[in-house]
Amino acid sequence: MSWLAGFGFQRRKRELQEEIDAHLQMAIADRMARGETEEAARQAAAREFGNVPLVQDVTREMWGQAWLEQLGRDVRYALRQLRKSPGFTITATAMLALAICANSTVFSWIDGTMLRPIPGARDTGELVSLQRGERNFSPTPPFSYLDYRDLREQNHTLTGMLAYHNDWIALTGGAQPERVYIANVSANYFDVLGIKPMLGRFFLPEEETHGYAVPSVVLGYSLWKTHYAADRAIVGKSIEIARHTVTVTGVAPEGFTGAAPGLRDDLWVTLDPLGNDVWRMTHRDQDWLIVIGRLRPDVGRDQAQQDLDTLMHHIVAAFPNDHLGDNRITLDPMWRSPFGANGLMAATLPILLAFAAVVLLLTCANVATLTLVRFVSRRRELAIRQSLGANRMQLVRQMMLEGAVLSIVAGAVALLLTSWTSKTFAWFFPATSNPLILNGSMDYRVVIGIAMASLLAGMLCGALPAWRSSHAPAAEVLKAESASVSGGSRNRKLLSGLVVAQIALSLPLLLCSALFLRTLRNLAGANPGFEQDHILTASVGLQIAGYSNEEANLIRRKILDRVSALPGVKVATLTDWIPMTLIQKRSDAYPEGYVPHPHESLLIENAEVGPRYFESLHIPILEGREFTPDDNEKAPGVIIVDRTAAKRYWPGQDPLGKRLSVGGGLFTVVGVARNSTHTFVNESPEPMVYLNYFQHPGYETMVQVKTEGNPADLAPAVENAIHEIDTQLPVFDVRPMRDSTEMARSLAVIQSTLAGVFALIGLVLAVTGIYGVVAYRTQMRTHEIGVRMALGASRADVLRLVLSQGLWLTGIGLALGLAFALGLTRVIARLLYGVGANDPVTMVSVATLLGAMSLLACYLPAHRAMLRNPVTAIREL
Amino acid sequence: MSEKDQYKNRIELLQGTLDMLILQTLQWGPQHGYGIVQALRLRSGDVLQVETGSLYPALHRLERQGWVQSEWKQSESKQRARYYRITAKGKKQLAQDLGRWERIVEAIGSVMYGKPEESES
Repeated sequence: MSWLAGFGFQRRKRELQEEIDAHLQMAIADRMARGETEEAARQAAAREFGNVPLVQDVTREMWGQAWLEQLGRDVRYALRQLRKSPGFTITATAMLALAICANSTVFSWIDGTMLRPIPGARDTGELVSLQRGERNFSPTPPFSYLDYRDLREQNHTLTGMLAYHNDWIALTGGAQPERVYIANVSANYFDVLGIKPMLGRFFLPEEETHGYAVPSVVLGYSLWKTHYAADRAIVGKSIEIARHTVTVTGVAPEGFTGAAPGLRDDLWVTLDPLGNDVWRMTHRDQDWLIVIGRLRPDVGRDQAQQDLDTLMHHIVAAFPNDHLGDNRITLDPMWRSPFGANGLMAATLPILLAFAAVVLLLTCANVATLTLVRFVSRRRELAIRQSLGANRMQLVRQMMLEGAVLSIVAGAVALLLTSWTSKTFAWFFPATSNPLILNGSMDYRVVIGIAMASLLAGMLCGALPAWRSSHAPAAEVLKAESASVSGGSRNRKLLSGLVVAQIALSLPLLLCSALFLRTLRNLAGANPGFEQDHILTASVGLQIAGYSNEEANLIRRKILDRVSALPGVKVATLTDWIPMTLIQKRSDAYPEGYVPHPHESLLIENAEVGPRYFESLHIPILEGREFTPDDNEKAPGVIIVDRTAAKRYWPGQDPLGKRLSVGGGLFTVVGVARNSTHTFVNESPEPMVYLNYFQHPGYETMVQVKTEGNPADLAPAVENAIHEIDTQLPVFDVRPMRDSTEMARSLAVIQSTLAGVFALIGLVLAVTGIYGVVAYRTQMRTHEIGVRMALGASRADVLRLVLSQGLWLTGIGLALGLAFALGLTRVIARLLYGVGANDPVTMVSVATLLGAMSLLACYLPAHRAMLRNPVTAIREL
Repeated sequence: MSEKDQYKNRIELLQGTLDMLILQTLQWGPQHGYGIVQALRLRSGDVLQVETGSLYPALHRLERQGWVQSEWKQSESKQRARYYRITAKGKKQLAQDLGRWERIVEAIGSVMYGKPEESES
């Protein structure tokens, strides 16, 4: 574009030259016709015409393109100036690039998670996530199929409403079964999301509830590529899933991984593909669906929430027995949907972005300091240009351009860096049984973000010094130059202000990172209330084999017998849940005889565990007993509650022998366990009930083994023992419990890592900033110091003189920084554990560290000044 | 500030007048820059000497505004030159300029002589 304009510009320039030549030729010809000699005519014509370049100049201005030429000239000049001081240019560019990269990296993570909640979906801003009842960070699926159908058909505010249920299943038919993540979806699922099939078709409305002998599946793009060699003729072919033959009807487009933010689906089937799940399709008390709606364009979220809530009230009134507990409906935009990973992201990433913004401000202050120091040493050049006729606007433009060139280059470098750093987000998450696909993304939004950050940086770095310099009258500057003692009082003030700002900005960064680091240490050192060090867990894919409940229990018992007999195994038990993996299971529960109020929240966390579970995890049973092999399918239903649950249901009474209704069944309390951590070390204790695995089988079958030595060493033996029972039994996620519980700390690791990096940058910037300014000022005062020493000032006096300025600045900076920090730590208070947001020890140590570093930074130039020979110092001007 | 404004007013007045003179000259037929200078000098009896430093910027501006069009042609003396021709839009502008000019002359006249006078041209 500008390239073409440049060509046009050149052509017009040539034409103007030709036009003027013609004018002169005609004037000469006229004069010669009147009898003048050629020489005289030429001279007279030229005189009459006037200054040719000037005429060209003013004429060109009429084209409205002159600014382009001017800009080109200014840019070339700026580049020349920057080339002349490579030290400054490289340092400033590198610092700015780093700071911009800090921002764009965090932003790319936000972009890849919260801003792209469902990759591939159309207009995710219109999508809302429905939650029924109590809100927490990891709710269970809230809707039954019939309730979903009623809401879908009767609402007036949504253009569409989809439902899905996440699950995993084994892909059979190959040598070994493989685990794939699937979703049972409503027929309109892809339609509501706005996804078009890459091959074949998606589901038909009549397939939603109908069961088939050979049901349809839709393959995810990556599964189609990795398992079916990107076979374009796959539509209509049969594959085997969980030992059932199914037909591939379609393949989803590349990039689409399902409707749960941050979680991956490998393939999709309908809600009841085989027609054997009639129970959960026809009962309103079976909550198993997660529901997403698309708002009508003219409808707001509040209005839709009102509409759906009213509908839900009617449903509850019609079927009160199926709707115990809290039934209020709330809607969330997808970026903070509680289903999937976004709820957690929304609590962490924006705060980190704010930190990164502080780093950018700090860097701008630092680069502005450098720029100012440079311009002060260049003010002679500027003053001469000014007296030669450059107007102030031109000088200001010049300086802003230098800032702009720096920040554009820095932005380009940051762009390159971010394309790599954006992908580092996945490193923070340990391997778990969740198909987490969290990562940053690098799209146009990130590029715009980088452009805006570098624009801001350029303005701050260039405009500030420019604005300052444009106010200095040329004559005064030239005069000041000749009697240079210091940088002039105005420069001094601005420089001091910038140094104070740097210290004031870096202190809160340091403080927050120190608080995060202490939090991380506290979390790692905290006792979760159970033993996690000598425990190995392994998931067994039992539900895929088509066993009856009794047969499955038989296999489970066989597994327990075999694994218990392995050398090095102390205890083997079963569970369907591993604590601290961000997974929670909840059911409605209330004591026998209690009549729940309508809409009263009854949800309680629960887990299904086998005999000796508490022994293997070292969780003491405070009263009663632990589950035994005798608590089998035929025995009366028993339950173990934790202390919080006992207090909540039977305050001041003996819970043993009391009966509790959980998920519709009645269970007798046989034991009370000590509280232990469920999800986060810093959670407030929530009631928990443990059901017996063999009486109330869990969905997942996880073998939990307490080992004598390193649990990882036993992994192959445990896997073999299970395969000895049935070679086709899929075994997944065999890993030490420590590895799984890392998940609970991953957010704290992200926070402290980033805050630590940011704080380090902040510290380096603040210290180099104050060093630079004090060193510069001391240099400017060399002459004055020489005079003082010649007049009898001692070296200690000189040291004091130089140090005192630096210390003043540090002191003011620290005071302002503390005030700023007190405001900022309040924001992160929620994320801390074991340390207060205003922890005095942390605060004092951080301020001391920063103060000491600044002192050192001031001491170096002071020391140099002290050692100078007064005679050479006086001579130096 | 006020100094700058006054300066601006003066430029505008001069520019307006020059534009009118150029457009009037082109009424008589397409002409090149040198020809316009000569025509103005002759017609004004050597009183008006247009500076090239004003003429060419004015011509290029008029062209950008669409009041004149230019093309390269051979002159009678076989000199390749850029000829300017007045457009329909330019003619409308000229009528407007002329009207304004007459009002100014009339107004100045009434100030100077105390009563409305007929303009001499």
